[in-house]
Amino acid sequence: MHNKQKTRYSLSYLVSQAFKSLFRNGMMTVASVAVLMSCLTVMGSFALLVYNINYNLEDLSLNEMVVYCDTEADDDLVEEIGRRIRLQNNVVEESVELIPKETVLEEERETYREYTDLFDMMGGDSNPYPDTYVFEYKDNNKVSSLQMELEQMEGVDKVNCRADLAKTIDSIKNGIIFIFMWFLVILFVVSVFVIINTIKLAVHSRRQEIYVMRYVGATKWFITTPFVLEGIAIGAFSSALAYGVEYLLYNLIYNTVSKYPLIKLAEFGKDYLWLIVLGGFVIVGVVTGIIGTAISLRKHLKA
Amino acid sequence: MIEFKNVCKKYPNGTLALDDVNLTINDGEFVFIVGESGAGKSTMLKTLFREEKISSGSLVVDGYDLKKIRSYKIPHYRRNLGIVFQDFRLFPNKTVFENVAFAMRAIGVPTKDINRRVPTILSIVNLQDKAKSFPNELSGGEQQRVALARALANNPSIIIADEPTGNIDPKLSLEIMNLLIKIHKHGKTVIVVTHEKNFVDYFQQRVITIKDGKVVDDKVGGMFDA
Repeated sequence: MHNKQKTRYSLSYLVSQAFKSLFRNGMMTVASVAVLMSCLTVMGSFALLVYNINYNLEDLSLNEMVVYCDTEADDDLVEEIGRRIRLQNNVVEESVELIPKETVLEEERETYREYTDLFDMMGGDSNPYPDTYVFEYKDNNKVSSLQMELEQMEGVDKVNCRADLAKTIDSIKNGIIFIFMWFLVILFVVSVFVIINTIKLAVHSRRQEIYVMRYVGATKWFITTPFVLEGIAIGAFSSALAYGVEYLLYNLIYNTVSKYPLIKLAEFGKDYLWLIVLGGFVIVGVVTGIIGTAISLRKHLKA
Repeated sequence: MIEFKNVCKKYPNGTLALDDVNLTINDGEFVFIVGESGAGKSTMLKTLFREEKISSGSLVVDGYDLKKIRSYKIPHYRRNLGIVFQDFRLFPNKTVFENVAFAMRAIGVPTKDINRRVPTILSIVNLQDKAKSFPNELSGGEQQRVALARALANNPSIIIADEPTGNIDPKLSLEIMNLLIKIHKHGKTVIVVTHEKNFVDYFQQRVITIKDGKVVDDKVGGMFDA
């Protein structure tokens, strides 16, 4: 006689088994949560460190170019130069700003107050300063061609930029981020490895249960689901705890560092940083929980 | 029906555990399988559970060809078998009722049917009064009866008992053997692997003797002479 009835499992039973098992294997659960939470906190701290390095270096933005017009250029020509600068592909159009020669003169007068008499003589047509355009460019690698093109423009006297310095800082920034990203990847792999081993221990302690399940005719789905749900619960719980720890730690460091003007940290609530951290924790926590459970169970589920 | 035809099982390390086994066990038979340690009894059981795949020949159980069976069908095949282990393998944190019910839950039997059937099965093995007890509150014989009840839970056609009396004292062993005979009389095929000469000789059933992976003797009403 064959038992060919269609197998219908009760999801509520499987969920209840997962939670019962979490409490029944209390020490293993605590160990798994502690390991996963620690790994997530370290990973989160690294990620926030990378984010803040980038955040600080972004402020050192040197993608700026200055175009000095000829002192003889009339207003129409100056306006035409501005229009043509905006048309360049490598120029951030909305950043183009004209600093009229009168403004330059006033700024200089403010800077050198002791020579007021001298600046008084420079008004009107005697103003020796040129009209100046200041703007940001997009791509450091194409800055030389942009500079050459602008220098050949009618009415342009000189073009200044700090391309070499910008390139150096950019490559330092990219290098630091690259190194830290690799650290992050290695840390992730190590974390997954540690978590897999922790879950393996939990599964190993219940191999008898799995063995009996197989021999009474339970399907892989029935055997696996409570373990996977356990993995998800451990992942979710660990990520919530890690988020709490990260939040407290970050704010503590933020409050300490903000007293020093040289370094600045992004606020935890800024640009949804908190949401990215929480989302990252939940995804990494739950995914590692599932992967860890699946890998740990594989050995016990062969036919 | 169980049919071994020229079955060989060779392990990756080169050990030939079953060597050209030819054997037929008909529905409703009671069979003792005897043999020394390392003779191939355990491998024979493992091939029947489909824990091990045979290397050559053919093994067909209740219409399932165990050499060709797809892995997703194995759980369904195993529902035709009730397995009793020497070391009981009960869940210590589940009551007697839950241990038996577990076998039913594992194949998706609704709770309503479980609540109706478990007491009936427990009464077959005379444990109706112990439903709420935990395994550690029971004697070895009682634990083995729970294991037997669990094996019967899904009404399998074949009961396989691997040294069912190996961990219990002789008086209780007789009780277990009598239960197995009782189950056999209800029409089940019962296969008992044992070292207990007294029982084999006493019950006068079919005895299959295995030696070095071969069937060396197969007699109805035979004696233990492994």
